[in-house]
Amino acid sequence: MIIQEKQQINWQPIIKQFEDVVGKNGVVQRREELLTYECDGLTSYRQRPAVVVLPRTTEQVAEAVKICDRNQIPWVARGAGTGLSGGALPVENCVLIVTALMKKILEIDLENQRVVVQPGVINNWVTQAVSGAGFYYAPDPSSQIVCSIGGNVAENSGGVHCLKYGVTTNHVLGLKLVLPDGSIVDVGSSVPEMPGYDITGLFVGSEGTLGIATEITLRILKTAESICVLLADFTNIEAAGASVSDIIGSGIIPAGMEIMDNLSINAVEDVVATGCYPRDAAAILLVEVDGLEVEVAANKKRIAEICTKNGARSITTANDLETRLKLWKGRKAAFAAAGHMSPDYYVQDGVIPRTQLSFVLQEIENLSQKYGYRIANVFHAGDGNLHPLILYDNSVPGALEKVEELGGDILKLCVKVGGSLSGEHGIGADKKCYMPEMFTEIDLETMQWVRQVFNPKGLANPGKIFPTPRTCGEAANAQSAKQFESVERF
Amino acid sequence: MIQETKAIAQTLTDILGPAAVRDWENIEVSQQKHISETVSSGTTSTCIVYPNTQSELAQVIACAYQQRWRVLPCGSSSKLSWGGVAKGVDVVISTSRLNRVIEHAVGDLTITVEAGAKLSDIQAILAASGQFIALDPSYPQTATIGGIVATADAGSLRQRYGGVRDMLLGISFVRADGQIAKAGGRVVKNVAGYDLMKLFTGSFGTLGMISQATFRVYPLPEASQTVVLIGIGDAIALATKTLLASALTPTAVDLRSTAVVTNLGLGKGMGLITRFQNITESIKQQSTRLLEVGQTLGLQCSSYTGNDEAELWQKLAEQIWASGQEPEIICKIGMLPTAAVATLTLLDNISHQQGIGLIHAGSGLGLLRFNPENALNCVTKMRSHCQSHSGFLTVLEAPISFKQQLDVWGYSGNALDLMRQIKQQFDPENILSPHRFVAGI
Repeated sequence: MIIQEKQQINWQPIIKQFEDVVGKNGVVQRREELLTYECDGLTSYRQRPAVVVLPRTTEQVAEAVKICDRNQIPWVARGAGTGLSGGALPVENCVLIVTALMKKILEIDLENQRVVVQPGVINNWVTQAVSGAGFYYAPDPSSQIVCSIGGNVAENSGGVHCLKYGVTTNHVLGLKLVLPDGSIVDVGSSVPEMPGYDITGLFVGSEGTLGIATEITLRILKTAESICVLLADFTNIEAAGASVSDIIGSGIIPAGMEIMDNLSINAVEDVVATGCYPRDAAAILLVEVDGLEVEVAANKKRIAEICTKNGARSITTANDLETRLKLWKGRKAAFAAAGHMSPDYYVQDGVIPRTQLSFVLQEIENLSQKYGYRIANVFHAGDGNLHPLILYDNSVPGALEKVEELGGDILKLCVKVGGSLSGEHGIGADKKCYMPEMFTEIDLETMQWVRQVFNPKGLANPGKIFPTPRTCGEAANAQSAKQFESVERF
Repeated sequence: MIQETKAIAQTLTDILGPAAVRDWENIEVSQQKHISETVSSGTTSTCIVYPNTQSELAQVIACAYQQRWRVLPCGSSSKLSWGGVAKGVDVVISTSRLNRVIEHAVGDLTITVEAGAKLSDIQAILAASGQFIALDPSYPQTATIGGIVATADAGSLRQRYGGVRDMLLGISFVRADGQIAKAGGRVVKNVAGYDLMKLFTGSFGTLGMISQATFRVYPLPEASQTVVLIGIGDAIALATKTLLASALTPTAVDLRSTAVVTNLGLGKGMGLITRFQNITESIKQQSTRLLEVGQTLGLQCSSYTGNDEAELWQKLAEQIWASGQEPEIICKIGMLPTAAVATLTLLDNISHQQGIGLIHAGSGLGLLRFNPENALNCVTKMRSHCQSHSGFLTVLEAPISFKQQLDVWGYSGNALDLMRQIKQQFDPENILSPHRFVAGI
């Protein structure tokens, strides 16, 4: 991989070339305007890009990428900037290609249940565009009202409903790609399993290191006839975990299953005041089931019995949309609420085999005490995807380093019990140094082969996913987030 | 050539012992047949090697890499002849002795198995825990896990559960240079590293030899019922449209050509065969609702449960896969789902109602079977039709002489260079499954 470091770049002629492609309005170069683009949702890492380019079409993206290729300039793609692993974190002297203006829904084909969008289209818009006809787009990250489909594709985003319906990769049929040499290729189609290698599947989740998707063909699903949300509260978190195992063991696959611990419950009650989650509960379990009315009614009954058997204090159920959204509201606001509980928080995204839940929660509690930081736990319990939120104050010198170390210990724990470093946020800049915990040198070398094919000059999103001696040998390049408090996090 | 094969067999015997190597004369006749149908020439001088462990597999491939032997990876060889005709194979490597279950995490709904494990054996193990891998591929009794992944072979259940790519959580494989690599993991949700599972699914052994795979498993449904609607194309199209736009949640929605309906004595016309698998209350209601749709449209309606249902699906599968007296042409097709009925109508017309056709109505993927008479004309016409509806036609099974008359894969996109570069990176000496894949990869 060749990355030119510390080179002297004469930016003015290059900026002129970008302006010729996207117009003056499509190029951001003033220092204060570039501030917005210094970080994504992982705000503890910051780096100002040299210039931001905002294309509107595939051809403009291709031209912008070619300019970078000709001039040997690294570039980073960014959607809405809500990613939580620093996937869209700029590198020094890079061009940031932002897809925010590529927000057209290009085609809606209800009968074939496909929608074609540009990458800047917001996740939630897809569902809004087809919900009138009774369809929806299944992957629903908590940031769905602001995150873009392009970013979802890059990170293979999940959400609270992916237990039954899968994550982004299960819903992407085809892509138009701009490769790092500026060439345009079409992979996949509106039809699955086209002849040839499944480059669509390889690209989804590649975190901007293989190119930019400029048109995305999505599969949409028919909205269920009936949907029900159950909320059960428990006096110990193990009982909530046991209920999850028993529900799965009984043969029911709910659309989603989420657990929040006491600290998270109180955080969201403080902020969004749903009044739904009992503040004295050790844990709440949210379960959504969908299907035919008769099926939902039967499963609801069985799940309530299972929760009661495991010691649930009370069970609330909701079938109507308004109450269901109210029950979900606290869960979807959990990260934001953590931000109100403490000056800063650090979110992790480990995955464990769901049967290890009790053990891992106890270990996380031990780590919390060892390091002296409170940890709020929110997780997609059905698929074992944990989101521990470590609460800290970044103005305390050395706090972030300690917190990152604690986060690293949690990730190592996840891998040790047979899990993964990331369930849905991606490796990005944040977790690349932990990749050797999960993969051997040969595994990583093999993955690098893929990068070598698509991105031989290493210009597309350098320094992400894979550990490098330079970045993992020394302390993380973290700066104070304090001065940018107004930047929203999701 | 025979001399060389003897030398290869001897080298492999030195590494793995005599029990792991068989020369051509000692290969079972059925397997000889499969290999002959796969390789264009020199088959009679091939030997076959059966590693017992992943590390033995790695040793064999490392040796092949050093010696530049061209390798034909195979499992039980049920689908070995699919796709392009292999060229100049020096050695066949079978995973059939790599058939252990590594881990069945019952509570986590995952299973990790070696590539040579037979799906039918794995399903039996899973069934004891009330679970299954939600795949109903071709040759379900003999198909191995590795072969299913390498050919991306899913069946009717894709309507509810998706394809092989959607269920494969992790993979280990031996690279062309003999190193063992892995990707993914053993948990149901995981985005760490590149998704090489997708890259390997449907790669026909051209990038590495799969040694282990982790699958998502599902609880066995409590009850099952199949509704069969039969009639003229327009009414079947309308019933399909109504079904797919409804809130019903079938696990299989298959359109079948007139010949299939006739052969099974189900009635006269095209068939829409829908399976519901869920809790009893749900399947009863879903079946009733679909039968009402069929009656309203004047279709011939029936429904199947229990042994009758199992027998029906068995016979439907045989229509495509049963080996006949003469070699037949079997193709995989894809098209926009809205073109499905028109596709089967075209098949009926050009095959004089003899063509066997199946299209999964939700995905637009399907299978066609022709007898060799006039098959080239039929395949060409069907391919052009599928391509005009955003799809494709790939020839899976056919005599080598037939395959040599046309482009087997029918890839019509613009990503060939990228695919060639991927192959070049993973297998620079082109020793793995040479020429079996798209564009001679």
